[in-house]
Amino acid sequence: MTTPRTETAAPAKNAPAIIASSVDEGHRTKQAPFGETLVSLARTMPEIVGMSADLAKYTDIHIFAAAYPDRFYQMGMSEQLMMTAAGGLAKEGFIPFATTYATFAARRCYDFISQAVAEQNANVKIVGGLPGLTTGYGPSHQSTDDLAIFRAMPNLTVIDPCDAHEIEQLVPALAKHDGPVYTRILRGAVPLILDEYDYQFELGKAKLLRGGRDVLIIGTGFMTMRALDAAKRLAADGVDVAVLHVPTLKPLDEATIIREASRTGRLVVTAENHSCIGGLGDAVAGLLFRSGVTPAMRQIALPDAFLKAGSLEVLQHRYGISTDAMIHSIRCWL
Amino acid sequence: MDAPALGDNSQLAEHSYRVRKNAIRMAEVHKQGYIAQALGVADVLTVMYFHAMNVRPEEPDWEGRDRFLLSVGHYGIAHYSILTAAGYLPEEELVTYGLDDSRLPMSGMTHYTPGAEMSGGSIGLGLPMAVGMGLGLKRKKSDSFVYTLMGDGELAEGPTWEAAISAAHYKLDNIIAVVDFNAIQADGPSREVMRTEPLIEKFEAFGFFAQRVDGNDLDALVKAFDAAREYDEPKPRIIICDTQLGNGVHFLENREKSHFVRLTQEEWDDAYEALDAWKTTRTR
Ligand SMILES: Cc1ncc(C[n+]2csc(CCOP(=O)(O)OP(=O)(O)O)c2C)c(N)n1
Ligand SMILES: [Mg+2]
Repeated sequence: MTTPRTETAAPAKNAPAIIASSVDEGHRTKQAPFGETLVSLARTMPEIVGMSADLAKYTDIHIFAAAYPDRFYQMGMSEQLMMTAAGGLAKEGFIPFATTYATFAARRCYDFISQAVAEQNANVKIVGGLPGLTTGYGPSHQSTDDLAIFRAMPNLTVIDPCDAHEIEQLVPALAKHDGPVYTRILRGAVPLILDEYDYQFELGKAKLLRGGRDVLIIGTGFMTMRALDAAKRLAADGVDVAVLHVPTLKPLDEATIIREASRTGRLVVTAENHSCIGGLGDAVAGLLFRSGVTPAMRQIALPDAFLKAGSLEVLQHRYGISTDAMIHSIRCWL
Repeated sequence: MDAPALGDNSQLAEHSYRVRKNAIRMAEVHKQGYIAQALGVADVLTVMYFHAMNVRPEEPDWEGRDRFLLSVGHYGIAHYSILTAAGYLPEEELVTYGLDDSRLPMSGMTHYTPGAEMSGGSIGLGLPMAVGMGLGLKRKKSDSFVYTLMGDGELAEGPTWEAAISAAHYKLDNIIAVVDFNAIQADGPSREVMRTEPLIEKFEAFGFFAQRVDGNDLDALVKAFDAAREYDEPKPRIIICDTQLGNGVHFLENREKSHFVRLTQEEWDDAYEALDAWKTTRTR
């Protein structure tokens, strides 16, 4: 069962449909964590090079390009070329960070990444901006299927980070990991939450951010931020919610997920900024079922549809991934 | 639409002013957007819709129409400006641009707007889709043309060149590709981001009838589109239009950050004034 239709009051209609990342009210932010971290890391790792397909400014790698102009390759609007050339640079011993929007990386470049990067185990870091539903611009820019697409690709590590703190930690971890990686990122003013939870990103590890008796939310990407906010608000109603953060979708931290989902009496809710097909929910359901662990389980995810254009807040609420919608769904399911 | 007689383009100038004004009205809703492109390409679209193309605004799906594929979806604002001026859309709708449940989404999509024939937000699909429609029209024995509006940054997309090879191979003389060469793309000036020149030579080598014109000169545009339609060799056609970003609003012309413009309300008010001043001085 996926997200029920929400009946709570929607945010004001007709807010502008600009391209923006998702900062919820009351959260601190940090500017350009991906670009800034890559710049400082590159000081000690000369093999790092940057690439973009005419979206440097829009993925924050322009900061790296300004700091290291001779280590940055502007590929123009040629995403397929960029991914394939990244494979070539990796063969020569470099570590390319190749950036574009998540949707173009996943959809336009699939075969190129599959054969020039993943199959050859090339040490390429693919970085996708505008993850999931983070723009009201319409389906061309709404990357609702990248996690499904990339999870299906052998050899590839797949990551959806939550916030600026996590992005700062994962950039060095990815650079040190020898192998192809796809990560989503948020750009610009990125929410900052996980520093309060004494959180440390580890590749392939899920982390329990808070315990709770009634519900276990297994979240990925910024939906973990919303899960934490939802947990606080549900606590006021006496609903005790645990939150497990799963930034690495592949390889999945099976042991931790099985351990947490095995604790009896808790409703398990997966939460992802992605289609209900092929992302975190399906990964967790498949894992649990195959392992003989069968708690009551629900999924918060975007519908299997090309989403509408409009204002981001309205759309996120309509499609069930706003914090309000999430709380509403969980109440309905309890 | 009936074409005005050659040599009398004052009507076109009037239309292109309205197209620009429509664009400003839309951009003003959000105080930001792809306004510089819309102003720059206004003359090209005006000549296409009011002179070159055979269309019926009151019947957008008319089978005998020339097809128009907006390959650069972010030019939706430019497209709605001309669609409104040409009578596909009522003027009152302009202020719904980009709002929830509007028929005018920020990125042009086929199932939202009358007269929008493709969804082009993911750039690089226009010429490939024109190949399919060109083949389809020939199969139906139709004499309609397929026009596609592309950006100069878009010329770096591989599918564009795959389509160019194929359009010549299939002798698709019913394709008229149009490039808005405004010399900018998302990360900056296109000659710095990815140099695609020399374009005429490239397209000719790929088997096209290729022309290059000042895209803000109505007379030159009329001649180029007439030549493209009348050319009698079985080759696809392309018109590279050198346009000036922000054309008609002096403070938007040659602004440094012009791919996506943000202005204050005061500046939007000034934009109307600037446009009116420009109109009175425009010499043909
Ligand atoms: C396949 C694809 N890659 C990247 C983008 C993001 N993008 C939107 S507009 C643009 C620049 C396009 O350059 P150009 O065609 O010259 O348009 P202009 O900058 O003049 O508006 C880019 C990179 C996109 N929409 N589609
Ligand atoms: Mg351009």
